[in-house]
Amino acid sequence: MKDVLLSSPLFGICLSIFTYEAGVWINKKLKTPVANPLLIAIALIILILQIFRIPLESYAVGGDIISMFLAPATAALAISIYGQLDILKRNWLPVLAGTAVGSAVSMTSVYLLCQAFSLDEKLTASLLPKSVTTPIAMGIARQNGGIVPVTVAAVIFTGILGAILAPLLIRLFRVRNPIAAGLAIGTSSHAVGTSKALELGETQGAMSGIAICMAGIITVLYSLLLTA
Amino acid sequence: MKIILQIGIIFLICLVGEGIASILPFSFPSSVISMLLLFLLLLLRILRPEHIRQKTDFLLKNMAFFFIPAGVGILEQFTYIRDSMLPILLICVVSTVLTFAATAYTVKAVCALQERLRKRGKRL
Repeated sequence: MKDVLLSSPLFGICLSIFTYEAGVWINKKLKTPVANPLLIAIALIILILQIFRIPLESYAVGGDIISMFLAPATAALAISIYGQLDILKRNWLPVLAGTAVGSAVSMTSVYLLCQAFSLDEKLTASLLPKSVTTPIAMGIARQNGGIVPVTVAAVIFTGILGAILAPLLIRLFRVRNPIAAGLAIGTSSHAVGTSKALELGETQGAMSGIAICMAGIITVLYSLLLTA
Repeated sequence: MKIILQIGIIFLICLVGEGIASILPFSFPSSVISMLLLFLLLLLRILRPEHIRQKTDFLLKNMAFFFIPAGVGILEQFTYIRDSMLPILLICVVSTVLTFAATAYTVKAVCALQERLRKRGKRL
C-alpha cells in the first residue's frame, strides 16, 4: 500500500497543501516575517521526507503538477500592475529611475560579492536575480544556468531580511519620502518586503507593489544584456 | 465568466507565451512574456479584469504555495551548497541593504528634482 500512496501525485499535492496551511497558521499566530509560510512548508516537507525516508522523486510526482501553476501565477501579476496603472502614471519617473538603479545595484553587488567569495558560475547565476519576485527570479536563473532551488531559497531569505530590516533601514538612511520608502522596499525585497510596506502606509504599500513588477521586468532586461 | 473558461484563458495565454519564447532569438523567461501579453490584452481592453478575476485572485492570493516544490528541490543541492552557505547568506544581507539604499536615494533625488522644476515653472 505504501508504494501506491507514494507513487500517486496526490501525495505530493496533499503534503504541500497541509504543510503550507500549517505555515499560514503559524505565521498568523507569531505575526513575524521570520515565520514565513513558504519557508515553514518547505522545512516541514524536507523534514517529513527525511524522517520517513521518502525519496524526493515520490514527492516530485505531485510537486511537478504544483510547479505547473508557476507560469499562470506569474502572468497573473499583470492584473496587479493593471490595477496600479493610475499611481504608476502619476509617478512614472521616480518608479522607473528607482527600480532601474536599484536593480542594477542589486545585480552588480551580488556579482562582485560572488567574485570576492570565489563562488562558481552556477551559484552566481542562481543568486543574481535574488531581489526580484520568485517566479521571475526562477525564470532568470533557469535561463542563465543557475540552480533554481538555490534561487528560491535566496529569494525567500532576501524577502524576510527586507521585511525585518525595512523600518531600521528607513531610519538609518533617513527616508522620509513614503514613495522612496515603498520603492526601496519593493525593489530590494519583493513581495515579502511589501507585506511590511503595507503596514507602514498605503503609499508605501502601493509603491512597493509596483516596484515588485517593475524591478522584475528590468532585471529580466539586464540579464538579457548580460548574456548577449 | 465561468471559472473553467477563466482557467482556459490564463492557460492559453501561458501556452502562447511559451510559443513566443521558443521562437525568440534570445532566451527570455516565458512566464514574463505571458505576463506582458496579459497586460497588453488588458491595456487594449480585449480582456477586462473582471473576466478573469476569480482565477487571478486564486493565483495571486496563493502565490507562495506554488513555489513549495521548487524550494523543496534544495534537498538535492544541499551537499553542493553546504560549503558556500555563509558567503551566500552574507551576499544576500549586504546586497539587500545596498539595493535598498540605492533605490531610496535615487527616488529621493528624482522627487526633489521634480519638485524644484515644478517650483521654477510656477515662478516663470
